[in-house]
Amino acid sequence: MDKIVEIGGYAAGYCGRLFAQSGHDVVRVDTGERDPAYVSREALKAFLDGGKQIIETSNAALIRRLVEEADVIILDADCADSIDNWNLDEWPSAVKIAITPFGRTGPHRNWQATSSTLLAMGGFTFLMGDADREPLTLPGHFVDFQSGAFAYSAAQACRHACEPNTIDISKLEVVMALSQFTTVMWHCANIVRSRHGNDFWSVVPTNMFECKDGWVYINIVPGFWDPFVAFLELPELVLDERFITNARRMHHREALHEITRNVLIGLTRSEIQLRAVECRIPLGSILTFDEVLDDEHLSRRRMWEERILENGKRVKLPRLPWVIHESSPSTDLV
Amino acid sequence: MANGPLRDVRILDLTHVWAGPLATRILADLGAQVLKVEAPMSRGPRTYPGKPIAGFVGGHGGEEPYNKNAAFVKLQRNKKSIGLDLKSDQGRTVFLDLVEVADVVIENFSARAMSALDLDYTVLQKRNPRIIHVAMPGFGLSGPYKDWVAFGPTVEPMSGLTHVMGYSCAEPRSTAMALPDPIAAAHSVCAVLTALRNRDATGKGSLVEMSLHESAVSANGAWLVDHQLGAELTRLGNAHPSMVPHGIYRCVGEDQWVAIACRDDADWIAMCGCINTLDDELAVHERRKKRVEIDRQITRWTSVRDHNDVESLLQQKCVPVGHVRRTPDMVADKQVQARGFFVPLDQGTPMPGNPIKMDGISNQDWTPCPPLGNNNREVLSSWLDMSDEEIETLYEQQVVFDRPPN
Repeated sequence: MDKIVEIGGYAAGYCGRLFAQSGHDVVRVDTGERDPAYVSREALKAFLDGGKQIIETSNAALIRRLVEEADVIILDADCADSIDNWNLDEWPSAVKIAITPFGRTGPHRNWQATSSTLLAMGGFTFLMGDADREPLTLPGHFVDFQSGAFAYSAAQACRHACEPNTIDISKLEVVMALSQFTTVMWHCANIVRSRHGNDFWSVVPTNMFECKDGWVYINIVPGFWDPFVAFLELPELVLDERFITNARRMHHREALHEITRNVLIGLTRSEIQLRAVECRIPLGSILTFDEVLDDEHLSRRRMWEERILENGKRVKLPRLPWVIHESSPSTDLV
Repeated sequence: MANGPLRDVRILDLTHVWAGPLATRILADLGAQVLKVEAPMSRGPRTYPGKPIAGFVGGHGGEEPYNKNAAFVKLQRNKKSIGLDLKSDQGRTVFLDLVEVADVVIENFSARAMSALDLDYTVLQKRNPRIIHVAMPGFGLSGPYKDWVAFGPTVEPMSGLTHVMGYSCAEPRSTAMALPDPIAAAHSVCAVLTALRNRDATGKGSLVEMSLHESAVSANGAWLVDHQLGAELTRLGNAHPSMVPHGIYRCVGEDQWVAIACRDDADWIAMCGCINTLDDELAVHERRKKRVEIDRQITRWTSVRDHNDVESLLQQKCVPVGHVRRTPDMVADKQVQARGFFVPLDQGTPMPGNPIKMDGISNQDWTPCPPLGNNNREVLSSWLDMSDEEIETLYEQQVVFDRPPN
């Protein structure tokens, strides 16, 4: 197992979390510098720092000693000059990762950013929200956590190859690398992708619908049209000329939404979900946090690790997003 | 084929749509030898009835429209392609021969698909005990939902994200971008690397389950913990629970906006130096109380200015700001241009690059999306040592192919 030293913001914290949960020795050097989070410090500490050794210090000599013993250094800073101020390139560790908003080179390497400004610059924000209103940002730490995931993969790849390297990760480029078909749509179809609230737009119906006790989201790609008609219990729609192809469904989107709304508003989420399972269509209910935490499927798949925090509170923490079985999983789960 | 630290890793890629192909693209960018194993109709029919969602690379489909679908092509750089009919006995045999000389098999079929092909982990492991099989079904391989149909947009609201995303409590919003897909993609790469490192240590292969649902839930972990600790989390629109101001503000021009965020008092004071109607003595708890009025004053200032001017002025003062870029602005961005992020592959189409920069990796040796079955002969010959005659027989039997059926 590797020795990892993590310094800086949430991307480093998430990268370190992946290492810690994968069984590596992780030391977090806490210099007290983190931007305000979307959640309390206590929650973030529980989520990111479990299984790590935390050392609160800004003492350069101590930090130097820690990094000398590390196989991997993860340094997440507000800009390129901050990385240089740490003298990262002179540290002796095998794998060194610098995570910054814009990368270590380029004219904007010292620009400042947060998650919301990077989502705006990376093309995500323009696509979220309603057409006639201000765009919506994505709350939370998507940018940091995805950057941390890329950092983890890069470091593990170098460790697999037994090769030293210094890795430069730009959070803006992470956002852009994870964009859907936005840029090719512009270059190849001359279309600037636009925002349409909950409507995915080019696949109809793909939208959020209100029901008796909440909301559900439906995503009917063309191959699911016939099962969807069965789901609505409106078999006559199969022969309805307005809806016979996705292109025609796009043209008659409002009429189809109206029909769907009228069916779903009289049903509960569980009734709708049951029908969706029977008809095999892709549908998901909008769940509260309590509902996610109580979800039977997740519990039976052992998604949660119970932990007692320093203040005595007991919480459920999600395990790693993946499960590794050394043998066939039939008896491992459920 | 890209160079990089994974150059000794052979991956059989059975993935489709977005999450899986994005994962294997990232692995290929890190140098892995990714062989896309494709079914006869994996790229659609030989002739296209209309235009695909993001158009064709080069603007038109030409004689092989199935090889030109831009949304597909975008995800396939640095890979090789073999057209192989896994539903035929002979195709299955060839696939298992490939498994024997591969390191990773990755697929994002439904939970029952690999068993239906008699190619589940038990079968793969018998053929190659060191194989790593990454399964990416929507809800995992077990549990009450394992056979539910899942796509990114329908999994997203089940992860808890929609509980906090929207304009207000009464107005929930989806990203409408299938966000669980890129989350699962990035984490699948983490999972592959974790399993590879485990194998480096133990010599043993493994089955890796990477559920679209669980990766999205895990990404929302901090909120789920905060909720258990008693926090009242709700939809805040573009506001932030701690940063004030924090929002998306209108600029001059149609649908032009900037995102601005003040992380602390230093940002606030710097911002007040630009917008003289703001009171630089307001501490964050006071700003929180006056959030609406502050947003109004900022809008008054931004709405008569060009978004580029607002961006450069506030960045000069070290305040986090970014104008809300549309696609053409993204590609033209000076910073990503200077770093060569977009790479003109596939008839000059700029493709989003690799955010991992390190020695030994360069986009100079990248290869574009291979045509369907482009590497049939090369792979069967070099990986499996097949003769030209044997390969020709596979073509005649339509076990391997390089275009969709009529």
